[in-house]
Amino acid sequence: MSGAGPLFSLRGAGVRYGSIWALADVNLDVVAGERVALVGPSGAGKSTLLALLNGSLCPSTGTVSVQGRDLTRMSPAELRRVQGRIGTIHQQFDLVGPLRVVHNVNAGRLGSWSLARAVASLVRPRDVAAVSAALARVGIPEKIYERTDALSGGQQQRVALARVLVQEPVAILGDEPIASLDPARAAEIMGLLASLAGREEGRTLVVSLHAVDHAVRHCDRLVGLRAGRVAFDAPSAEVSGAMVDDLYRIEQECSGVGPREAT
Amino acid sequence: MAVEAVRPAVLRPGAPGGGSRLPAGRPGGARRRRLWALVVVVAFVASLIRSGVGRGQVTNAAGWSQVRAFLAAATDPVLDAEFLRLTAEATLTTVAYAVLGTALATLIGVVGGVLASESFWSPTRSRRPGRPGRSVRALGGWLGARAVLGLPRGVHEAVWALVLVSILGLDPLVAVLGIGIPYGAVTAKVYSELLDEAPHQSFAALRSAGVGRLAALAYSVVPLAFPDMLAYAFYRFECAIRGAAILGTIGAGGLGFQLALSFQSLRYREMWTLIYALVVVCGLADWWSTSLRRPSRLPAARSEPALVAEATPGTHRLGLRRDRRLLLSAVAAPVLVGISVVHLQVDLSTLWSPRAQGLAADLAGSALPPDLGAQTLATLGRLSLETLAMSVIAAVLASVGGMALAFLAASTFIRPDRGVTAHDGRRPRHWGRAAAALLTRAVLLVCRAIPPPVGALILVFVFIPGPLPGALALAVYNLGILGRLMAEVVENLDPRPVRGLRAQGAPGLQAFLYGTVPRALPRFAAYGLYRWEVTIRETVVVGLVGAGGLGTLLALQLAAFDYQGVLATLLALVALTLVVDLLGAGLRRALR
Repeated sequence: MSGAGPLFSLRGAGVRYGSIWALADVNLDVVAGERVALVGPSGAGKSTLLALLNGSLCPSTGTVSVQGRDLTRMSPAELRRVQGRIGTIHQQFDLVGPLRVVHNVNAGRLGSWSLARAVASLVRPRDVAAVSAALARVGIPEKIYERTDALSGGQQQRVALARVLVQEPVAILGDEPIASLDPARAAEIMGLLASLAGREEGRTLVVSLHAVDHAVRHCDRLVGLRAGRVAFDAPSAEVSGAMVDDLYRIEQECSGVGPREAT
Repeated sequence: MAVEAVRPAVLRPGAPGGGSRLPAGRPGGARRRRLWALVVVVAFVASLIRSGVGRGQVTNAAGWSQVRAFLAAATDPVLDAEFLRLTAEATLTTVAYAVLGTALATLIGVVGGVLASESFWSPTRSRRPGRPGRSVRALGGWLGARAVLGLPRGVHEAVWALVLVSILGLDPLVAVLGIGIPYGAVTAKVYSELLDEAPHQSFAALRSAGVGRLAALAYSVVPLAFPDMLAYAFYRFECAIRGAAILGTIGAGGLGFQLALSFQSLRYREMWTLIYALVVVCGLADWWSTSLRRPSRLPAARSEPALVAEATPGTHRLGLRRDRRLLLSAVAAPVLVGISVVHLQVDLSTLWSPRAQGLAADLAGSALPPDLGAQTLATLGRLSLETLAMSVIAAVLASVGGMALAFLAASTFIRPDRGVTAHDGRRPRHWGRAAAALLTRAVLLVCRAIPPPVGALILVFVFIPGPLPGALALAVYNLGILGRLMAEVVENLDPRPVRGLRAQGAPGLQAFLYGTVPRALPRFAAYGLYRWEVTIRETVVVGLVGAGGLGTLLALQLAAFDYQGVLATLLALVALTLVVDLLGAGLRRALR
């Protein structure tokens, strides 16, 4: 599809859980090939925003469009087709532990496979060449037939990345993809993630991060979220330490209202 | 977290060709599992042949009319005032047996659990008491407590009751002790594991500050393990109600007894009244005990549930709602015990009456030495095989059926994760699926509410009497129990993998195949094996009504007052259950 307009477009998007607004009146455009980092303290709405982008959550107010088409107005089949081109990775908990790596990677294609093909592949893995290529791209080609829960955290995150790759996605969404990794592993995975997206690759990356230094180093643009609202939206180079401090400091004061809950 | 960290190390040594050195190799784990699956199939077929399938007639077509009449009566239970009063009375009796049996079991469990825990015998140091340098006295004490608790577990409550009735006569204490002793031993084992699994830093801190063992346990580990201990007591209560119904069928009174009486005069409509009473009581107990042990919906609490030897499907962090229910349960329990003591007119002095002591001495005198002649041993060997075959048939059928029905009965089936969440955060209920799930749950509940001896007698209408109808009755009964436990496994699976698959566009059935089934199957297999260990004990109760195996022999010997033979049969039973326990534990380890 042509990339005339923005890839993702949020207009007045808000999400309410009970009486709490997890997101309120968010306006955001992401163009194809951009690398965007969502930063902000816990509970600022980063995960909710990502869930809106991949269509797994409907907004309470406003619209979410992908390639100019409103996600909330699609039929389930259309939505699945769009979701098939958006790869999401979380902390490594989305993998199915007892399955072998090859099946976990192939699971990225379930949206386009028939049921018969999906069943047959569990007995005799299909598309092994594509799986091998994806695993080679993320640096663990030799793990293809291992049980997934036998791998380390960093290796599992690479499997999750390979799964996203076989989707041939137009966009990769990362929900705190490095939160449960040690600093060395986190730097590796973040570098890998950034290298898979960008203008040359033609893939968009939207990733939520706690580590602002990673965000500045690997992304073109930072969106600061605070209590469900966009606090700032600026190119990485223009994000100052003061802006970041402000983002986290204000939130600290807010949560200071109920000190008893913290204990 | 710790489980995740340990897993790879546990996995690799046993998996030839699966390690990182042979990248292209197929994993040994999968091959080993396939081998075990083959072993199970072979054992199942051999057991069927052993039970008479394929050797002449096994079914009796003429009996179908009786079965049809029995099933037809389900819609027309007796509802006149007099019979309802009798049913209420019988229900109270069955519940009272279960309450007092569970109370005794919990008492034994607390004392035995502390004595059998490693913490109690540990020196002042850490949580894994010294493999290096544990004192001989402590090791002896720990092993001694474990051994003492091991024996009562090996024998079914019905066998305990039959032995006790020879000493105490027809006394309500027979059923209470019959349930309390074996359940107490199991409870003690589970409690000791709960105590040892609870975090031990505070215990170690108190001990190093010079606090005594029991006081330190009471102030550190027990408060942490208490909610799970109470939840397990209620799980036992749920089992005790079914156990009390089974004891009723062999004469202890209550619903099981009335059920057997109505069956003898073929009053099917009365039977259904009693069955519905059992269904209601079992259903309430199941619901309450499930709500006590259901883990909170916090993702962190959903890591690997540790499957200890008995099913304790909830050693998890707690939700607030569960806390309130636990408190309510702790208050209600003593009240129930009081009502039960009054209703059954329990008189503890029977235990040390001269008559009971005399009878116990007589019994011991006439049972020793056990009859271990060559002919008896040959018979015992043959019947042990028959018993084993029955247990294999029952366990395999119950497991396979349970696996299929569990997915339908799970609440996740009613509110499927479609990957799209409405903005209010709730998943929509699917009414067609809700109806299917409720029907499945009702079928499972009826399956486990009918005591297996009664089930076997009904099956004998259409099957030639022998091990096969007995095994099938046990299969139906255990299907009811396993289906429900397995549904809980499905409900407690981490929802994130499936949600992830849905979010990238996988259709529901494919997400189920890739996300749910592979994670549920290993735990299903573990539950199936655990249930096999229970089934081998339960073969006795269908044996008592003539289904064959060691249970039938036991019934004949008891009727003939051949106590030397009884003791030999009991020894064979204990040996057989020990073998099955070891096999089951080994298989479970191989599956992990």
